[in-house]
Amino acid sequence: MSKRLYNLVAKVMSAQLSAINDESGPESIDSWTSFKGYVLLYELETEFKVKFTIDEAMDVKKIADIKRHLKNHGVILDD
Amino acid sequence: MTTEQKLSYYINKSSELIGRTFGKKIRIGILCSFTINGLEETIRVKSAEKNIDCVTYVGGYNQYNQEILNQESNLYKFSPDITFLIIDTRNILEDLFHLPYSVSVSERKNFVEKKLKEIQNLANTFTSRTKSKLVIANFAIPTYSPRGIFETKTEYGFHKMIKDLNHGLIDSFVNSDSIYIYDFNGFVSRYGENNIFDYKQFFFGDMKIALDYIPNLANDLMEYVIGHLGLSKKCIVLDLDNTLWGGIVGEDGFNGIRLGPEPPGNTYLEFQRVLLSLYQRGIILAINSKNNYEDALKVIKEHPYMVLREEHFASMRINWNDKVSNMKEITNELNIGADSIVFFDDDPVNREYMKLNMPQILTVDLPQDPSQYAQTIKKMNEFSVLNITDEDAKRGKMYVEQRKRNDLEQSAPDLESFLKNLELKVLIKHANEFTIPRISQLTLKTNQFNLTTKRYQESDIKKFSEDDKYIVGCVQVEDKFGDSGITGVFIVHKENSKEWFIDTFLLSCRIMGREVEKGMLGYIVNKAKENGVEQIKAQFIPSQKNKPIEDFLPNCGFQKDGDYWLYSLKTQFTIPDYLTVRVE
Repeated sequence: MSKRLYNLVAKVMSAQLSAINDESGPESIDSWTSFKGYVLLYELETEFKVKFTIDEAMDVKKIADIKRHLKNHGVILDD
Repeated sequence: MTTEQKLSYYINKSSELIGRTFGKKIRIGILCSFTINGLEETIRVKSAEKNIDCVTYVGGYNQYNQEILNQESNLYKFSPDITFLIIDTRNILEDLFHLPYSVSVSERKNFVEKKLKEIQNLANTFTSRTKSKLVIANFAIPTYSPRGIFETKTEYGFHKMIKDLNHGLIDSFVNSDSIYIYDFNGFVSRYGENNIFDYKQFFFGDMKIALDYIPNLANDLMEYVIGHLGLSKKCIVLDLDNTLWGGIVGEDGFNGIRLGPEPPGNTYLEFQRVLLSLYQRGIILAINSKNNYEDALKVIKEHPYMVLREEHFASMRINWNDKVSNMKEITNELNIGADSIVFFDDDPVNREYMKLNMPQILTVDLPQDPSQYAQTIKKMNEFSVLNITDEDAKRGKMYVEQRKRNDLEQSAPDLESFLKNLELKVLIKHANEFTIPRISQLTLKTNQFNLTTKRYQESDIKKFSEDDKYIVGCVQVEDKFGDSGITGVFIVHKENSKEWFIDTFLLSCRIMGREVEKGMLGYIVNKAKENGVEQIKAQFIPSQKNKPIEDFLPNCGFQKDGDYWLYSLKTQFTIPDYLTVRVE
């Protein structure tokens, strides 16, 4: 399931899949602008059929944060 | 949801465009009072899909005033061809967006007047400093009102303020040839306020328009690009069975086809009405159908609910021939490029065959359900033009007259007898407020009989016409079958007292082959002689499409001189005697 998330991140950020891990974020992925960060959340909402709150959206600093918020919405990403 | 691609598709695709080249070029400026990331990438990709090399500049966040008022701004340095100005209603109304009733009726009216003047000044400043067209989005009218259902009982209420701003924008620029009003409020209505505006996005990063709808907005804005570059489609070629009517006339019979006020015949009626409205603004209609000619023609002529009749079709290929061969004949008969044609056929096999053999033609994937036909054509942005001239409105009729000319040509013993029989009259007109829109339009759209294919906007033509160093003229052509309208353009630059240069010389494909060009050139030659000029210089700039004019200069006595052609005015130029040339 993590792979599904990583694939989405790689697609939105136009980044190499191999470069994506739970610690990835704007600091490690150059193309991760605030706009693309929002596009990612938008795509995640569609992919996992969830709706993030603005607090959750503002809180995302790395992929681990996304996993945590997805978990709060009942989406468990097994490794 | 929409059937458009997601925004991320366009963002990723835009990075693949680097280094690729396209046929046409355009520079687009975007000024916005809110964050509109993704719009420029989408416009670039959509342009590339239409073979347009698009470069974009997005002004700073809510910096539209500074970008326009500061003559040294990056916007002016960028030098756009088209600039879109999109201001959010909440930005223009400021505090009155939430609290319109905190001030009196007269204060609300004064506020609207003041804001309208600000936009007028901004727009006029911008267009006086650049050649760019300015497209101003009107203001979205929220369905919400602080007064709720009492809004419509309120004198000069919140909604009326925004409606007045929108009407004021239209009234201010209705006669401008460089400022256009984009119906952004219509865009919001089409897709729904609750879909277009995403408030989480808005509060997160002042991104007012939901990401999924940015591509739809780009589609709308692309209409201005198509119109500006003169890329709009000119002709719709239609199948008949299950396209203009339901059923197969050869099998179901005249009385068995579905066409009329009852469902499902009403869906075809609606489709025909939309097609007629396009015909009335200058789109040419033609038929390409596998059918028995007599069966189909009986329906076209006699069916009580046919909206489109024989007189609306510039060309009819109703036979059992291959549809691609028919299509080639239609393009030859109408003398228009395949890339100006849109093809409607309900049969997916026919469509695939056409796409494979004539990819330049836009073959529309008609939905299976005929109730969607009319909507399909209404949603297309390929017919967009920035100006509709008198000639456009008459075009369909002119093509029918052309059909009659073709019949005469086929019955005449030789070309000269045919041309003599036509009783051709060529009226030379100069550029003025009535002819300038058409002159510009012809420079933008004419490809085949065009010496230099230089494209000029109305503002360019206006400038030339006000400059003593230029002669800007056009020709109106009439014969015994009717008036073809303004169908030729010439722009002559008086380089010095001894030499004039033909900057532009073109004829619409509609009147090619009638030697009108010799009447036009004869006028230029005579005018030059009157002014003591010794020679006329001209240039042929080859393009992919202007082969028909390739031999025109040598055939008229011009001699090659490097990249140019020279005509000595000591040479006698003869205008064919079957042309009557008059100067207005």
